[in-house]
Amino acid sequence: MQALLQKKSGLHFPVHLQSVHAQEFLLGEVNFTNEELAMLVGLQENTKGLTRTTLLSLVALQELTGKIDRALLRNEPLAFINSSTVGGMCSVEDHYLDFIEPGKRGDFIQYINSSDCGDSTERAAHYFGLKPLMATISTACSSSANAIIMGARLIRQGVVKRAICGGTDALCRFTLNGFNSLKNVDKEPCRPFDQTRFGLNLGEGAGYLLLEKEADAIARGAEILAYLDGYTNSNDAYHPTAPSPDGAGAFRTMEQALKHAKLQPEAISYINAHGTATINNDAAEGLAIQQLFSPKVPYFSSTKAFTGHTLAAAGAIEAIFSIISLQQQAIFANLNFTTPMEELSITPVTDTIEDVSVQHVMSNSFGFGGNNVSLIFSK
Amino acid sequence: MIKHPLYIKAACAISPQHSFGDTPILDPVVQSENNRLIALDVDYRAFINPVAIRRMSRLLKMSISAAIKCLQNAGVSMPDAIITGTGRGSAGDMQHFLKDMILMKEEALNPTFFIQSTYNAPNGWIALQSKSTGYNQTFVHRGISLELALLDAQLLLAEAGDHQNILIGCYDETTADYFVVKEKLNYWKKETIPSEHLYRNNETLGSIAGEGAAFFAVSGEKEGAVCSIASLEVIHQPAPTMIRNKVQEVLAANGLTTDDIDVVICGRSGDVRFEAWYGVLEDFATQTIAGFKHLCGEYETSSGFALWLAHQIFAQGTVPECTVLQKGDRKEIRHMLIINHFILDTVSVMLLKSLR
Repeated sequence: MQALLQKKSGLHFPVHLQSVHAQEFLLGEVNFTNEELAMLVGLQENTKGLTRTTLLSLVALQELTGKIDRALLRNEPLAFINSSTVGGMCSVEDHYLDFIEPGKRGDFIQYINSSDCGDSTERAAHYFGLKPLMATISTACSSSANAIIMGARLIRQGVVKRAICGGTDALCRFTLNGFNSLKNVDKEPCRPFDQTRFGLNLGEGAGYLLLEKEADAIARGAEILAYLDGYTNSNDAYHPTAPSPDGAGAFRTMEQALKHAKLQPEAISYINAHGTATINNDAAEGLAIQQLFSPKVPYFSSTKAFTGHTLAAAGAIEAIFSIISLQQQAIFANLNFTTPMEELSITPVTDTIEDVSVQHVMSNSFGFGGNNVSLIFSK
Repeated sequence: MIKHPLYIKAACAISPQHSFGDTPILDPVVQSENNRLIALDVDYRAFINPVAIRRMSRLLKMSISAAIKCLQNAGVSMPDAIITGTGRGSAGDMQHFLKDMILMKEEALNPTFFIQSTYNAPNGWIALQSKSTGYNQTFVHRGISLELALLDAQLLLAEAGDHQNILIGCYDETTADYFVVKEKLNYWKKETIPSEHLYRNNETLGSIAGEGAAFFAVSGEKEGAVCSIASLEVIHQPAPTMIRNKVQEVLAANGLTTDDIDVVICGRSGDVRFEAWYGVLEDFATQTIAGFKHLCGEYETSSGFALWLAHQIFAQGTVPECTVLQKGDRKEIRHMLIINHFILDTVSVMLLKSLR
């Protein structure tokens, strides 16, 4: 939180990711080795088959479950809605040639099942005793935002009383090379909503939120951090990877989320934008924000230059940032912005703003496949 | 998990069998080769834009074609929502990109394989082709991926109204690499068996590998539907008694007894590790019991093939001879159970009702 307020980016050349491109790209790499991550959750032994994806998830979940009475999780029906874009690819890619060599056996076998996205979900659910319902979602960069929606809906329909929702993704060569082959990874720190932007910086992480009905939170004397007031999942139906250039998909998603929250556009104090700093996303999202909110466009910024794009985890991590914004009554800076975009008349927030009234925050997550999500959090 | 009936308006499957409708259904039965059943290609060009099709993976072509045909059969041009489940998504594309990356030392890679490797890629394409800008979701949770998609559809009908048309689907492919990889975890039998003898070869580890795509047009309204899914339950790390209890629970919740069930479709796979899970079948001594994994093989979303088969059985009023493991005495088919498992510790139970 201090880093966010003090405009300190977490991007650096990777120390743990082994890649021929390691010294070319700034990444939002978590500053722990796998062994250190395991130690953080008290796992010295029994680390068999645990990938970095799962370890990041366990560390984040430990932080969350440490703040609640564990008996609550054991005794009342809970849904664990997790998400990932490539599961345990960070380990799979190290052993793949062994995997596919017929008859070859060895230590690598422990990682075979980690190639499933559901692997980290199953392991984390087992480790923390999260039951009875678990699910894993994969809708590219909107995955954990969708996990939050799914959890909220399961609670509303009375299927479960509480839900822990979020996502996890570890840096891996597969993803770095994938985005690099699309030529949208920037070698410099990313510049969301800037005319000179070139592409994204990748990151890694895990983030989870505990959702429950207001009455249930009050009944157990819990501190309510924020309200999830509205959400929308909708599809661009425009192109397999690119958003509609006029921002029609993003516009529709944000508009429907406002409608769902029964809020007028002017009620939004801050938009934590998807803002990947790719040419396409920022143009589409920027136009959509401009059209939907003009003439009174709220403060908006992308926090991707702090964390890198953490893919499946991004929706949950930025939902948490949105909640911090509500709690701290502060708006986070869109780092590295210098030049307004030609096609936009609006510009992002370039400095931390404190002591500002933040009532409702919109958090956007837009993904490959046209999978768009907007969430609205309120005080 | 939730009781909200899903009425099935159309069901389409691309599978290792003749299931897509251009020839008689399941006739002739296709046998496995070297313990693998491979989906039969259909005329994908009838369903996909010819420019786009050239770079598409087989899995994408299978899933889009099954989805579009399903919408056509249901008379729905633009679904209100698209919800899918997959164990492995476009595994072939993912492996292709991964192997290239390793062998070419992270240089000069083709982004197409990366783009198509995302699990939700079929969803995006189906949305694009059907111009569906509504709710769009992909579950990737091993053996319960389709089941979670069905649960999501139930939630959606409860929220947005029974008039909603929802396209639900599942897709998985078994590549040569995947076959080798999972062999190391005893997914497949060491001895080569003909698929028609799958159920007799039930004293060894493993099954036969399979794949397929299945799509269903569902809504909360009965009109035009052949059958409904009345209940759906999932069990994690099951024990035989848990499965039996869950079946009884599902029946009781619907005011039924075992006697009301006319057909049970079971996911027996010939794998000795899971035969005990099907002890529950002993409770259905006078009913027809049908198997399907000798037809589609074992894979994460084989429940999709089972559900397609159930829809066929309700529509035709008979159980295809090639699926019958036990012949029952029922004249009518009113209620059906699907009991299925996947290797990684999950079982699902579905109760279906005829509307005929």
